[in-house]
Amino acid sequence: MMASGMERILFTVFVGFVTFMALLIAKDWPIRASIVILFLGSIGIVLAVAQGIADFKAWRRGSPDARRPTYEVAALEHQGRWGSLEVWAWLWGLFIAIHLIGFLTALPLFVFVYAKFYGGRWATAGILSGATWGFLYGVFEKILHVPWPTPLIGSWL
Amino acid sequence: MLEAALEGLSGVLQPQALAFMCLGVLIGSLVGFLPGIGGPSTLAIMLPFVMTMQDPLMVIALLVGMDAVGNTASAFTSILISVPGSSGSQATILDGYPMAKNGQAARALSASFVASLIGGLFGAFVLFASLPVLRPLVLSFSSPEFFILTLWGVSMVGILSGNAPVKGLLAGILGVLIATVGLDTKSGIERYSFDIAYFWEGIDLVLVALGLFGIPEVIDLAGRKGTIAKAEEFGQGYLQGIFDVFRHWWLLLRTSVVGAWVGFLPGLGSSVADWFAYAHAVQTEKNRENFGKGDVRGVIASEGANNAKEGGDYIPTLAFGIPGGTSTALVLTAFIAVGIKPGPDMLTTQLNLTFAVIWTLVIANIVAAAICMTFAKPVARICFVPFYAIVPPVVAFIFIGAFAANFHTYDLTALMIFSLLGFFMRRYGWPRAPLLLGVVLGDKMELYLWLSYTRYGFEWLARPAVIALTALLLGSIIYPIVSAWREKGRAKEPLAKVSA
Repeated sequence: MMASGMERILFTVFVGFVTFMALLIAKDWPIRASIVILFLGSIGIVLAVAQGIADFKAWRRGSPDARRPTYEVAALEHQGRWGSLEVWAWLWGLFIAIHLIGFLTALPLFVFVYAKFYGGRWATAGILSGATWGFLYGVFEKILHVPWPTPLIGSWL
Repeated sequence: MLEAALEGLSGVLQPQALAFMCLGVLIGSLVGFLPGIGGPSTLAIMLPFVMTMQDPLMVIALLVGMDAVGNTASAFTSILISVPGSSGSQATILDGYPMAKNGQAARALSASFVASLIGGLFGAFVLFASLPVLRPLVLSFSSPEFFILTLWGVSMVGILSGNAPVKGLLAGILGVLIATVGLDTKSGIERYSFDIAYFWEGIDLVLVALGLFGIPEVIDLAGRKGTIAKAEEFGQGYLQGIFDVFRHWWLLLRTSVVGAWVGFLPGLGSSVADWFAYAHAVQTEKNRENFGKGDVRGVIASEGANNAKEGGDYIPTLAFGIPGGTSTALVLTAFIAVGIKPGPDMLTTQLNLTFAVIWTLVIANIVAAAICMTFAKPVARICFVPFYAIVPPVVAFIFIGAFAANFHTYDLTALMIFSLLGFFMRRYGWPRAPLLLGVVLGDKMELYLWLSYTRYGFEWLARPAVIALTALLLGSIIYPIVSAWREKGRAKEPLAKVSA
């Protein structure tokens, strides 16, 4: 799934906006607290405008992806109907589950459900999930005494 | 110097340090076998746990050991299934995979392991040889020179680590701005905290690293549903591959020099080293028509260079505190957290730790090559572990690692925000390394700028070393941008002729 030219422009606008706001907030601070922000932020605004213009021109030409060869590993093409949205759904699901039922339950549950959902055997999913719980309980609970946050469901009950 | 060298060696040969090094080598190798989980993302996952360790030697043994060998093991997937295990093994595919298809996978693998070993040792030697040169140079520098150097480091990484110099520079600036969040100790002002106590301490680098590199890589791996590829036959010629390396020793030496040089320059990562070395081999070797069709010289060139690069990478990292790339930026963060002070101290009072890094590079490369060569056949099977067995434990580690940053639920929110940022940056072709480097160097940059200003006013701009470094900085910013415009212009010319 290729990124469209408009998406690229919007992302550049977002970066430019963040830089501008950082500069705007810092302008009232004493120089010792804002020296690097004012120095680099000003350059950042100029660069963001230049990049925005470049993105806009590329969009008008209709060739947003025509670029020089890159040495960075390209993002892989995602399979399935929902592409990366499917993975994001899992991640946000885990994020919410951790807040609702706590780390010690949510993480092993996530490992089990994920492995099973994508075709793993019961034994594979069980072993992975058990190993995750064992690691969490053994290392973080018993050895490191990590102060886990209280799950929301626990505080409601 | 000899005393420091021996002290460094005895430090890394302690049983506990050796155990940590072997653990690092195993993790680094495992990461190399598994396509989709790169070295930087694993370092980011390890960071919160490593930063709680007390002994700097153990941290060096674990992290440098892990960082040094990722490219050695990544040859497995490059050669066997034509998928680079790390960004540094992309060029290996060009000849390694055709060799595997011709039934010479064993030959290609053994050649790559020996070339990696020798390249890695060469990189460590370059780091060692640079010490006498760097010492007087670094000791003559003051805050103005260090400020320009930090600026140069971020801008070089910004310009060279992707295909869009302006985006890279902007990402670096964004990183520095993120580094300014929190209570400013110079003025007592809460910067960008919005009356939220969580922000007073600033944004933890672990969260930025995990968000930018951990989650987006996992999304990539999970999104393509990691179909189990069919392995090529392991084939014969294991010994022949070893002899091939010694037969082409001159090529290996030249490409190792290329790798070490690329590592020394901030911004040029291992992904560049292997391509540069491969291009050098194609340009300078005889019978170049064989390249790309299964020529063992292609494997030797790229694998030698990507390991030699690691030693070069540590030169600016240790001497100036300016990481050569993403991995060394993360290693540097852990170093600082456990009391290792990159910069002049690494060449004077902490010279033994610099030697510990060199010895770790040497021993880790030997151990990794030995493991890969001895267990090549069983290890090759690990390449085919299904994605559903890798993704959930890695995600679990990332979430725990993020929470361990401050033991606050906001850590998870910050992780998700930086994950979204990393995902979109990758999607829209923005390099992520400069942003991370900006966060790493932001504090130092601000401190050096402030010290320069308060000590010298604007006179620091007239210091000879500052002028020379500024010229270098401007040259390295302007040249790539101008050459990019020229390239664009040249690309347009034929089109204009056609339309005419």
